[in-house]
Amino acid sequence: MFYKAGLDIGSVMAKAVIMDNDKVLSYSIMPNRGSFYNAANNVLKEALEKAGLTYDKLNIIGTTGLGASFITYPHIKNTEVACQSRGMNYLLPSVRIVIEVGDQSTRVIKVTEKGRVADCVINDRCAAGSGRILLIISKVLRVNINDLGNFSITSTNPVRFSTSCSVFAETEAISRIAEGIKKEDIIAGLHQSMAIKIYSMIQKVKIEEKCAITGGGAKDLGLVKMLQKIIGKDLLVPDEPFISGAIGAALMAAEKEVVFT
Amino acid sequence: MIFAGIDIGSTITKVVIKQEEEIRAIIIQPTGAEHRRLAHEVIKKALNNADVTFDQIDFIVATGYGRINVPFADAQVSEITCHMRGVSWLFPNVRTVIDIGGQDCKGIKVVNGKIRNFIMNDKCAAGTGRFLEVISETLGLKLEDIGEISLRSNDPAGISKTCTIFAEQEILLRLSEGVSIEDILAGLHKALAGRIYSMVGKIKIEKDVVITGGGAKNIGLCKYLEKRIGFSMLTPPEPLITGALGASIIAQEMVTKAGEEKLAHIKKERKLEAVTFFDEAD
Repeated sequence: MFYKAGLDIGSVMAKAVIMDNDKVLSYSIMPNRGSFYNAANNVLKEALEKAGLTYDKLNIIGTTGLGASFITYPHIKNTEVACQSRGMNYLLPSVRIVIEVGDQSTRVIKVTEKGRVADCVINDRCAAGSGRILLIISKVLRVNINDLGNFSITSTNPVRFSTSCSVFAETEAISRIAEGIKKEDIIAGLHQSMAIKIYSMIQKVKIEEKCAITGGGAKDLGLVKMLQKIIGKDLLVPDEPFISGAIGAALMAAEKEVVFT
Repeated sequence: MIFAGIDIGSTITKVVIKQEEEIRAIIIQPTGAEHRRLAHEVIKKALNNADVTFDQIDFIVATGYGRINVPFADAQVSEITCHMRGVSWLFPNVRTVIDIGGQDCKGIKVVNGKIRNFIMNDKCAAGTGRFLEVISETLGLKLEDIGEISLRSNDPAGISKTCTIFAEQEILLRLSEGVSIEDILAGLHKALAGRIYSMVGKIKIEKDVVITGGGAKNIGLCKYLEKRIGFSMLTPPEPLITGALGASIIAQEMVTKAGEEKLAHIKKERKLEAVTFFDEAD
């Protein structure tokens, strides 16, 4: 028995997985609600409860994400990119290109056969192409974020957005609503503008045969469909896209063979 | 003779009614989604304030991003030209105009009262008034207050000068690290000033520098911008109206060029009636 926990404290969601050797025993996902510290504690507690384990039973804890530095218990921290590529390699071993669409970050990672990072492109200067705009638009249109995809795929005439800036896209969307344009066309237009931005990132690393999408954006069917259309390739999606980073964090921590009691 | 300038900006609409060298009325109000109805509403208000009738106005020039939606305007002129004219009228020695609008930021280089060069950002919210709006919302403060609060700081927090969405997250990070609101605001203003400086710097900033637009009303931003530029800037008594003022000055010029016969024809054709985008019958 070698129990390990992986935590991925992102800018919006906290994710935890509990693993025994190579098997995922349980996982937990919850929003941060403004405190990385509380979220990190609660999400681990919930995951442990689901697995029927206690904190003392854990052999190692691996962490990643923006909020990982707020964790107070002993842990081994790795970068988001390394954890994503390791986690995705565990979930979908054949995949060589991983697109991660998070709240703030969109990353395109080229993964080696062993799950190491070969190359990556990160949107470090501009939030265009990240999942934040999906949150914003769901508020503006009063649509549940989980339903955005269903609206988007029914659109026949996506609206063209003049900027990819997430802040201005909100204003533009409001103007389009005022002009009486249908919800689905606005949402599909946004998905299109995100997909174009993400595609421009993919072009910077050479595209490979097998591609996958993960992160919160992977839950949006409209975005996935639009990306597939623009890239011209099918995208694999993990069963639970939120936890790939946390799985990677757990695996990488264990591989370092620093065991604490 | 009486002239009107109407500036429909992305966030705020401005009207100036000018008689010879005197400003008779100023209207400033938020822009909604319906520009045509708004144009009708603001011109009526302005006429009322100036105590003139619509037929007494000799020429109307519209500017700003909603300028094509002013049905009664006699001409449309770009906001770059209008801002330059308005500012030059107030400050004849101006060489650089920095205009920080609600959704864009412009730098205009003026030589002998003519535009030599300009630079503009309307593709990214960083460096525009929208940045200030978003941060005041995130911190739960009033837009008018944040500039002053930022001046109380001695140790501005580190904020990167890039994306508005990232800045929002940086605010939350700094807050959870226990940094004070003054320091965060100072850091944000410093980042915004850096962003504007690096953009406007491309056209070389030279004295006299005049700052206009909503951003000019933010004392914190002006301070950090002055620090970057290295000398003080001039601010018009009402920084919002320079575009509309410039439009009214151009109106005056156009009348002189047009000649009386043509002018009489223009005035006869012009009508002030409510027009909207939508069919409101149902």
